[in-house]
Amino acid sequence: MKSVLRLSLLASLVSASSAFAADKVTFQLDWLPGGDKAPVYVGIQEGFFEALDLDVSIASGRGSTDALTKMATGQSDIGSSDIGALMAAKAQDDVPVVAVLPYFTQAPHAFFALKSSGIDSIEKLDGKKVATSPFTSSNAFLPLVLKENGLSDSDIKLVKSDPGALGPMMITGNTDAIIAWVTNTALFTSQAAEAGKEIVELPWSSAGLSLYSSSLLASERFLEERPDVAKRFIKAYKKSIEFTYSYPDKAGEALHNIVPEVDAGIAAAQIKSITNLVYNDVTEKDGFGQFEQTRLMQTWDYVAEANALSTDALDPKDAVNLNYLPD
Amino acid sequence: MSQASLPKSALGRLLYRFAPALFFIVLIALWELVCQVGNVPNYILPAPSAIVSAFFDVEISRWLTHLWATLRVALMGFALSILIAIPLSIGMIRSELLNRTLYPALIVIQSTPVVAVAPLIIVLLGTDDPSRVLITCLITFFPLVVSTTTGMLETPPEMIELSQSLRAPRYRETWQIRIPYAIPHIFSGLRVSITLAIIGAVVAEFVAAEKGLGYFIQFSTSFFKIPQAFAGLIFLAAISLLLFKSVQWIQMYFFPWSLPKKK
Repeated sequence: MKSVLRLSLLASLVSASSAFAADKVTFQLDWLPGGDKAPVYVGIQEGFFEALDLDVSIASGRGSTDALTKMATGQSDIGSSDIGALMAAKAQDDVPVVAVLPYFTQAPHAFFALKSSGIDSIEKLDGKKVATSPFTSSNAFLPLVLKENGLSDSDIKLVKSDPGALGPMMITGNTDAIIAWVTNTALFTSQAAEAGKEIVELPWSSAGLSLYSSSLLASERFLEERPDVAKRFIKAYKKSIEFTYSYPDKAGEALHNIVPEVDAGIAAAQIKSITNLVYNDVTEKDGFGQFEQTRLMQTWDYVAEANALSTDALDPKDAVNLNYLPD
Repeated sequence: MSQASLPKSALGRLLYRFAPALFFIVLIALWELVCQVGNVPNYILPAPSAIVSAFFDVEISRWLTHLWATLRVALMGFALSILIAIPLSIGMIRSELLNRTLYPALIVIQSTPVVAVAPLIIVLLGTDDPSRVLITCLITFFPLVVSTTTGMLETPPEMIELSQSLRAPRYRETWQIRIPYAIPHIFSGLRVSITLAIIGAVVAEFVAAEKGLGYFIQFSTSFFKIPQAFAGLIFLAAISLLLFKSVQWIQMYFFPWSLPKKK
């Protein structure tokens, strides 16, 4: 039944595109579909893109740099990725991609530990074993967050493991703590509950690491060649973000309708648990959709330090283009 | 396996016949028992019963979509590697220069971990079928080249001398003498390659795909649905087994003479 729904949706999209010759846009995710990636699915399901004559297709990605590469090489037009990864890439090799809209205005990185471990602050990780996945952008920021909390790299025993193994490793006591995004909190909580345990989350954003993170990025070629399409897309995408966080349950359903493998309830729980990454004191002060200059500089300072780059290697303003924002 | 070692009693013969199935049943029962008695949580090792129920939680149409995505890439990659490997082997047998030139390159290609170059292939060829088919082909074609070449080299030299003394043209020497002698080797190469083709398709899906069993497994682990990932894995293994058998059937049907003689 769901596949029939999906097919008919596809068919209606196809017929819509042939009727109005809607503009095709390929959206690049930086990971697999999940609650935090819901807005683009919401935009399709709720017809926000269609209303602006856009025919959006979605490509999944395998990490921020993978997504950046696909946008830089023109395989995708626009997509989500970490602005830190973009800054580091631009500083080293002038990739033709820019950030057009902030999404997470706080960093999603966090430590997780079992409640029973007694670890309730970052200082308590001194001498502990911490597991992380090999390619997460969190690793670059780890030394900084440790430093902010009076520790150094040598104070923890860092091991690397497959992302799927991190939760079980923590629950079975294979490791004292793990590093993951707060987008996983809902999943870790249910996993721990299965073993009759509770987890604690220590977000880096409240431990001194305050920066822009996941953002909407676009290929410069797409912006130059189809500025009007880009403007319409960003407008509809912004609306989709607002809808996603206002109606998380509907957003979970929308995601499930397009990607039946995603459980609507889990996606909704993920969305609810990360609302403060999108809407927080930063957006209250600056408004949603703005890259504030000081904070942008601060983000670049962190990124430069984390990647051992000189701060002169990039003017962070060059990594951002706000000319395509809706009025 | 010689006839002499077959058991003589009726029970023994029955046991012999069903031994492979029995082995699997005992293994699965033991697995279930360990999980149930030891209270092993699903995220460490899901019990067979949990895997079965996870399998039925996914709609059959979804399974078929993923299955077809993987199967077509695997078969296209496999077909491409046959199209490349066999002519290449013939060329290398016929020309020593080609052999000297290409063999080192083939070994370099084979010893490069495809997993490491897969992301580069995706960047070059895009995220659609061509890159996935190429990745599969890179993994599958080497055993085929080696087995075909070995087979053709094993043609008895007196046959080649005979054909040369009769002034048979080179193409007839290849098609009527060398290839038939190589058929058993080619088929053992095909059997290895077809299972590698599934692995190749999965590697490609891990790097870039929106559907397919490899994508489904990666997706399931990203949501920590381990029993579901296992269900996908078992499905994959079953497909590999079926394809492996299909190659055997093709050999039995079209080239029965190439099979080892039964005692």
